[in-house]
Amino acid sequence: MTSRRDFLKTASAAALAAGAAHPLLSWASGNSSAADAAYEHAAIAIPGKDRMIVRSARFLDLETPVEFMTDWITPVNHFFVRNHMFEPARVEAKTWQLSIAGEVEKALTFTLADLEKLPLHSVVNTMECAGNGRSLQNPKVPGIQWGKGAVGNARFSGPSLKTLLEKAGVKDTAKHVQFRGLDLVPGKVPPFIRSIPIDKAMDADTLVATQMNGAPLTAHHGFPARTITPGWAGAASCKWLTEITVLDKPAEGNFMNPGYRLPNTPVKPGDAVKPEDTHSLTALSVKSLITSPSDGGKLKPGAHAIQGVAWAGEADITKVEISTDAGATWTEAQLGKDQAKYAWRLWSYNWKPAKSGDYTILSRATDSQGRVQPEAPVWNPSGYLYNAYDQVKVNLNV
Amino acid sequence: MSRPSERKLSELSAIVLALAFFSAAVGFAGESSSDSSGQLPAGAMQEKAAEACSTCHEARIIVQQRLSKAAWTKEVDKMMKWGAEVDPKDRDALIDYFSANFGPEQPAYVAPRSASESTSQSKTKK
Repeated sequence: MTSRRDFLKTASAAALAAGAAHPLLSWASGNSSAADAAYEHAAIAIPGKDRMIVRSARFLDLETPVEFMTDWITPVNHFFVRNHMFEPARVEAKTWQLSIAGEVEKALTFTLADLEKLPLHSVVNTMECAGNGRSLQNPKVPGIQWGKGAVGNARFSGPSLKTLLEKAGVKDTAKHVQFRGLDLVPGKVPPFIRSIPIDKAMDADTLVATQMNGAPLTAHHGFPARTITPGWAGAASCKWLTEITVLDKPAEGNFMNPGYRLPNTPVKPGDAVKPEDTHSLTALSVKSLITSPSDGGKLKPGAHAIQGVAWAGEADITKVEISTDAGATWTEAQLGKDQAKYAWRLWSYNWKPAKSGDYTILSRATDSQGRVQPEAPVWNPSGYLYNAYDQVKVNLNV
Repeated sequence: MSRPSERKLSELSAIVLALAFFSAAVGFAGESSSDSSGQLPAGAMQEKAAEACSTCHEARIIVQQRLSKAAWTKEVDKMMKWGAEVDPKDRDALIDYFSANFGPEQPAYVAPRSASESTSQSKTKK
């Protein structure tokens, strides 16, 4: 085990070698005010990403500003990034391998070339981080303080996970399928290892994706291959995939328990919840966001399009309603024509305000399972699946 | 297939290089106001907090939290279990430092934006 001090020493040496001594040494010494002054007006540059909200640069957590959510398919440079650990420095397509072992007849190893020979299946999936909206919870809970934009909609393509599992031959004892990625785990931090139930793993729409929006996955999104568990919280989809293990029970470890669990029954905000009174978080909730106008915006008189997105995990959005009088009355918005099983819907409402003043605009979605976005957030100790009505306040000038 | 814990040593150099390149690309500011500086504020524990935490993550992850002392206590204990090197004598002072600076009553942290993509590319080209 390398000690932290050795790690810093080595890191500093590498930084000197890389010609990046100043920022890294300042970080290592813990006194970075001089470095700050020098970099005062430099923007944080993230290759392949464009004007994202930086929740964390190391490790990387980037949020999409809601005003970028104008298209049904989110471009990769505007797609959110949630990393628990450090991205692998470089994964070589030629040497990368994916193993399948555990409760299978025959353990197998696939190369990227092997995957490319299998039938390609595409799924347009709205992926949302379980913690999206955490900063809106009250009382506050620890974790990345996401605003509204840890969500995006992309077309993922690759072989069905089922195809790979069937080649290995799943035994009757199989209950869960565990994924491990190549992300680098620092210190004594538990590795990011999770599993999904065998039924979801054998669904043809659950993928070992090698492409996002028609291009090879980028490093931030899991090159060369990642799982896509559609309709479920992002944590069910493993980036930089390298190891699949079929298990006779759910995976164990921090990111299965206590991580990514919800109380079995509603709890009062701030209450502690016993581990035995929780269950694993799986599919996403019903939710809508208002992407235009912007919160705090000043609008000119006349008609305005109120626009947004709405999704419901494994269910379908059936309607989105808008209120421009803080919830007294509601009117249905028009849903966009683009749709797919696990994908969000764009929506729009043509608002013709009669008089000037301050307005609170609300949106609420309903889905095919009869779920409705709640007025108040459903609080839980980790701040997962925030889905209260979305709200923006605007001022309409005379 | 090797276990994650065994992989750590063999891939440490890769981590270090990744960090070095990433730090070079990212720089350590990009914020124009102190609200979004992402740095730990002055205080008796500033340096020790930076040392203990920054092996695994930047200070921005700390400064965006707004937690009660009870919640900070759980976080500090969890991170010590996960490898943050904190002298047991400093634990309580560290919890006090975080609670005083990043409690529920503090105004919300304002996160910075990353550069526009064209800027990012020109900055990272070799």
